[in-house]
Amino acid sequence: MPRMQVRTRNRYAGLEAAMEAIASPRRRQILRLVWGAERSAGEIAATVPDVTWPAVSQNLRVLKNSGLITERRQGTHRYYKADRKALGPLEVVLRQMWTRDLGRLRELAEAEAKSSRRGHD
Amino acid sequence: MIEDLAGAIEITQRIEAPPEIVFAYLTDSRRFVKWMGVGAELDARPGGRYRIDVDGEHIASGKYQVVEPPRRLVMSWGWEGHPTVPPGSTTVEITLTLEKGATVLRLRHLGLPDEGERRQHTEGWRLYASQLAVATTDRPSSGP
Repeated sequence: MPRMQVRTRNRYAGLEAAMEAIASPRRRQILRLVWGAERSAGEIAATVPDVTWPAVSQNLRVLKNSGLITERRQGTHRYYKADRKALGPLEVVLRQMWTRDLGRLRELAEAEAKSSRRGHD
Repeated sequence: MIEDLAGAIEITQRIEAPPEIVFAYLTDSRRFVKWMGVGAELDARPGGRYRIDVDGEHIASGKYQVVEPPRRLVMSWGWEGHPTVPPGSTTVEITLTLEKGATVLRLRHLGLPDEGERRQHTEGWRLYASQLAVATTDRPSSGP
Protein backbone atom coordinates (compact mmCIF):
# COMPACT_ATOMS: atom_id res chain seq x y z
CA MET A 1 0.00 0.00 0.00
CA PRO A 2 1.63 3.21 -1.16
CA ARG A 3 -0.01 5.18 1.59
CA MET A 4 1.62 3.08 4.29
CA GLN A 5 5.05 3.52 2.77
CA VAL A 6 4.67 7.26 2.83
CA ARG A 7 3.67 7.13 6.44
CA THR A 8 6.69 5.08 7.43
CA ARG A 9 9.11 7.35 5.64
CA ASN A 10 7.48 10.37 7.17
CA ARG A 11 8.04 9.10 10.68
CA TYR A 12 11.74 9.90 10.37
CA ALA A 13 11.49 12.98 8.20
CA GLY A 14 8.80 14.10 10.60
CA LEU A 15 11.10 13.72 13.58
CA GLU A 16 13.54 16.21 12.10
CA ALA A 17 10.77 18.66 11.28
CA ALA A 18 9.37 18.28 14.77
CA MET A 19 12.76 18.95 16.34
CA GLU A 20 13.13 22.09 14.31
CA ALA A 21 9.59 23.20 15.03
CA ILE A 22 9.98 23.11 18.79
CA ALA A 23 13.42 24.66 18.84
CA SER A 24 11.67 28.00 19.23
CA PRO A 25 10.43 28.95 22.72
CA ARG A 26 7.51 30.80 21.14
CA ARG A 27 6.40 27.73 19.25
CA ARG A 28 6.75 25.63 22.37
CA GLN A 29 4.51 28.12 24.12
CA ILE A 30 1.89 27.78 21.38
CA LEU A 31 2.22 24.01 21.42
CA ARG A 32 1.60 23.91 25.18
CA LEU A 33 -1.44 26.05 24.65
CA VAL A 34 -3.04 23.64 22.19
CA TRP A 35 -1.74 20.56 24.00
CA GLY A 36 -4.85 19.79 25.99
CA ALA A 37 -7.56 21.50 23.98
CA GLU A 38 -8.35 22.79 20.56
CA ARG A 39 -8.08 26.57 20.33
CA SER A 40 -8.99 29.12 17.73
CA ALA A 41 -6.37 31.23 16.01
CA GLY A 42 -7.81 34.26 17.79
CA GLU A 43 -7.47 32.65 21.23
CA ILE A 44 -3.88 31.70 20.50
CA ALA A 45 -3.01 35.19 19.31
CA ALA A 46 -4.62 36.69 22.43
CA THR A 47 -2.34 34.73 24.75
CA VAL A 48 0.80 36.09 23.11
CA PRO A 49 -0.06 39.80 23.03
CA ASP A 50 3.54 40.89 22.58
CA VAL A 51 3.71 39.17 19.20
CA THR A 52 2.12 40.36 15.95
CA TRP A 53 -0.49 38.23 14.25
CA PRO A 54 1.70 37.52 11.19
CA ALA A 55 4.38 36.16 13.52
CA VAL A 56 1.87 33.96 15.35
CA SER A 57 0.46 32.83 12.03
CA GLN A 58 3.93 31.96 10.75
CA ASN A 59 4.65 29.92 13.89
CA LEU A 60 1.36 28.08 13.51
CA ARG A 61 2.29 27.28 9.94
CA VAL A 62 5.67 25.83 10.96
CA LEU A 63 4.02 23.73 13.66
CA LYS A 64 1.37 22.56 11.22
CA ASN A 65 3.90 21.64 8.52
CA SER A 66 5.92 19.66 11.04
CA GLY A 67 2.78 17.67 11.83
CA LEU A 68 2.84 18.64 15.51
CA ILE A 69 -0.48 20.42 15.31
CA THR A 70 -3.52 19.94 13.16
CA GLU A 71 -5.71 22.64 11.69
CA ARG A 72 -9.46 22.51 11.35
CA ARG A 73 -11.34 25.12 9.35
CA GLN A 74 -14.87 26.04 10.12
CA GLY A 75 -16.28 28.87 8.08
CA THR A 76 -13.77 31.68 8.32
CA HIS A 77 -12.34 30.37 11.59
CA ARG A 78 -9.34 28.16 12.08
CA TYR A 79 -8.82 25.88 15.04
CA TYR A 80 -5.64 24.18 16.15
CA LYS A 81 -4.74 21.32 18.42
CA ALA A 82 -1.62 19.31 19.12
CA ASP A 83 -1.11 15.92 17.50
CA ARG A 84 0.65 14.22 20.38
CA LYS A 85 1.39 11.09 18.41
CA ALA A 86 3.68 13.08 16.17
CA LEU A 87 6.09 13.48 19.08
CA GLY A 88 6.70 9.77 19.40
CA PRO A 89 6.94 7.58 22.46
CA LEU A 90 9.28 8.07 25.38
CA GLU A 91 11.74 5.43 24.25
CA VAL A 92 12.30 7.11 20.92
CA VAL A 93 12.85 10.45 22.56
CA LEU A 94 15.31 9.14 25.13
CA ARG A 95 17.18 7.14 22.55
CA GLN A 96 17.56 10.27 20.48
CA MET A 97 18.75 12.22 23.48
CA TRP A 98 21.37 9.68 24.51
CA THR A 99 22.55 9.10 20.97
CA ARG A 100 23.04 12.78 20.30
CA ASP A 101 24.69 13.51 23.64
CA LEU A 102 26.99 10.51 23.50
CA GLY A 103 27.99 11.56 20.01
CA ARG A 104 29.10 14.86 21.47
CA LEU A 105 30.91 13.11 24.32
CA ARG A 106 32.79 11.06 21.73
CA GLU A 107 33.95 14.16 19.87
CA LEU A 108 35.16 15.82 23.06
CA ALA A 109 36.93 12.75 24.44
CA GLU A 110 38.60 12.08 21.10
CA ALA A 111 39.79 15.67 20.83
CA GLU A 112 41.19 15.50 24.34
CA ALA A 113 42.88 12.15 23.67
CA LYS A 114 44.45 13.55 20.51
CA SER A 115 45.79 16.66 22.21
CA SER A 116 47.18 14.65 25.15
CA ARG A 117 48.93 12.31 22.68
CA ARG A 118 50.45 15.33 20.99
CA GLY A 119 51.58 16.53 24.40
CA HIS A 120 53.62 13.35 24.86
CA ASP A 121 55.42 13.62 21.50
CA MET B 1 19.26 -4.40 40.70
CA ILE B 2 19.14 -4.45 36.96
CA GLU B 3 16.60 -7.02 35.95
CA ASP B 4 13.88 -5.03 34.28
CA LEU B 5 14.55 -5.39 30.59
CA ALA B 6 11.17 -4.12 29.51
CA GLY B 7 11.33 -0.43 28.76
CA ALA B 8 15.08 -0.48 28.24
CA ILE B 9 17.26 1.44 25.86
CA GLU B 10 20.71 0.31 24.85
CA ILE B 11 23.19 2.44 22.96
CA THR B 12 26.79 1.70 22.07
CA GLN B 13 29.30 4.31 21.06
CA ARG B 14 32.87 3.68 19.97
CA ILE B 15 35.27 6.39 21.07
CA GLU B 16 38.88 6.77 19.92
CA ALA B 17 40.11 7.71 23.38
CA PRO B 18 41.25 5.80 26.47
CA PRO B 19 38.56 4.81 29.02
CA GLU B 20 40.18 7.16 31.58
CA ILE B 21 39.37 10.21 29.47
CA VAL B 22 35.85 9.00 28.67
CA PHE B 23 35.23 8.25 32.33
CA ALA B 24 36.32 11.78 33.21
CA TYR B 25 33.68 13.15 30.83
CA LEU B 26 31.09 11.09 32.65
CA THR B 27 32.03 12.03 36.17
CA ASP B 28 33.79 15.39 36.20
CA SER B 29 31.22 18.23 36.35
CA ARG B 30 33.31 20.62 34.29
CA ARG B 31 33.77 18.14 31.47
CA PHE B 32 30.26 16.73 31.80
CA VAL B 33 28.46 19.97 30.95
CA LYS B 34 30.33 20.12 27.68
CA TRP B 35 28.22 17.27 26.34
CA MET B 36 25.09 17.29 28.43
CA GLY B 37 23.04 19.98 30.10
CA VAL B 38 23.77 23.56 30.99
CA GLY B 39 24.88 22.86 34.54
CA ALA B 40 25.86 19.80 36.56
CA GLU B 41 26.83 18.95 40.11
CA LEU B 42 28.28 15.47 40.23
CA ASP B 43 29.47 13.68 43.33
CA ALA B 44 30.62 10.56 41.54
CA ARG B 45 31.19 8.04 44.33
CA PRO B 46 28.95 5.23 45.53
CA GLY B 47 25.99 6.81 47.31
CA GLY B 48 26.91 10.26 45.99
CA ARG B 49 24.30 12.38 44.28
CA TYR B 50 24.17 14.21 41.01
CA ARG B 51 21.98 16.95 39.65
CA ILE B 52 21.96 17.97 36.02
CA ASP B 53 20.27 21.10 34.76
CA VAL B 54 19.41 19.86 31.32
CA ASP B 55 18.11 23.07 29.78
CA GLY B 56 17.51 25.65 32.49
CA GLU B 57 14.08 24.17 33.07
CA HIS B 58 14.33 20.41 33.52
CA ILE B 59 16.48 18.87 36.23
CA ALA B 60 17.67 15.28 36.08
CA SER B 61 18.90 13.91 39.38
CA GLY B 62 19.78 10.71 41.12
CA LYS B 63 22.29 8.73 43.08
CA TYR B 64 25.40 6.85 42.03
CA GLN B 65 25.12 3.16 42.82
CA VAL B 66 28.31 1.83 41.26
CA VAL B 67 31.40 3.90 40.50
CA GLU B 68 34.30 1.84 39.20
CA PRO B 69 36.76 4.04 37.33
CA PRO B 70 37.35 3.76 34.47
CA ARG B 71 35.02 0.89 33.62
CA ARG B 72 31.55 1.11 35.03
CA LEU B 73 28.99 3.55 36.30
CA VAL B 74 25.48 2.81 37.54
CA MET B 75 23.12 5.51 38.73
CA SER B 76 19.48 6.10 39.34
CA TRP B 77 17.92 8.54 36.92
CA GLY B 78 14.80 10.67 36.89
CA TRP B 79 13.40 14.13 36.36
CA GLU B 80 12.56 16.35 39.31
CA GLY B 81 8.83 17.03 39.51
CA HIS B 82 8.09 14.50 36.80
CA PRO B 83 4.87 12.52 37.30
CA THR B 84 6.04 9.18 35.88
CA VAL B 85 9.83 9.37 35.66
CA PRO B 86 10.76 10.97 39.00
CA PRO B 87 14.26 10.68 40.48
CA GLY B 88 14.96 7.12 41.54
CA SER B 89 12.52 5.61 39.08
CA THR B 90 14.92 4.52 36.33
CA THR B 91 18.50 3.30 36.14
CA VAL B 92 21.33 4.25 33.81
CA GLU B 93 24.24 1.83 33.50
CA ILE B 94 27.35 2.77 31.55
CA THR B 95 30.20 0.39 30.87
CA LEU B 96 33.48 1.21 29.15
CA THR B 97 35.42 -1.54 27.44
CA LEU B 98 38.84 -1.20 25.90
CA GLU B 99 38.78 -2.62 22.40
CA LYS B 100 41.69 -2.31 19.95
CA GLY B 101 42.91 0.90 21.52
CA ALA B 102 39.48 2.50 21.59
CA THR B 103 36.76 2.67 24.22
CA VAL B 104 33.42 1.07 23.56
CA LEU B 105 30.83 2.83 25.65
CA ARG B 106 27.65 0.94 26.29
CA LEU B 107 24.76 2.78 27.88
CA ARG B 108 21.63 1.07 29.12
CA HIS B 109 18.69 3.04 30.39
CA LEU B 110 16.41 0.69 32.30
CA GLY B 111 13.07 0.71 34.03
CA LEU B 112 11.29 3.21 31.82
CA PRO B 113 7.59 3.34 32.56
CA ASP B 114 5.49 1.16 30.35
CA GLU B 115 2.15 2.89 30.51
CA GLY B 116 -0.53 3.83 28.06
CA GLU B 117 0.43 5.36 24.75
CA ARG B 118 -1.12 8.64 25.68
CA ARG B 119 0.93 8.97 28.83
CA GLN B 120 4.12 8.16 27.00
CA HIS B 121 3.44 10.74 24.39
CA THR B 122 3.07 13.33 27.07
CA GLU B 123 6.39 12.38 28.62
CA GLY B 124 7.83 12.33 25.14
CA TRP B 125 6.86 15.91 24.70
CA ARG B 126 8.47 17.04 27.95
CA LEU B 127 11.70 15.28 27.23
CA TYR B 128 11.66 16.35 23.64
CA ALA B 129 11.46 19.92 24.76
CA SER B 130 14.44 19.59 27.05
CA GLN B 131 16.37 17.71 24.43
CA LEU B 132 15.74 20.34 21.84
CA ALA B 133 16.50 23.22 24.09
CA VAL B 134 19.92 21.67 24.53
CA ALA B 135 20.38 20.73 20.90
CA THR B 136 19.83 24.25 19.76
CA THR B 137 21.34 25.94 22.82
CA ASP B 138 18.10 27.84 22.73
CA ARG B 139 17.76 28.91 26.33
CA PRO B 140 15.59 31.62 27.76
CA SER B 141 18.08 34.49 28.03
CA SER B 142 16.13 37.39 29.44
CA GLY B 143 12.49 38.18 29.73
CA PRO B 144 9.65 35.88 28.72
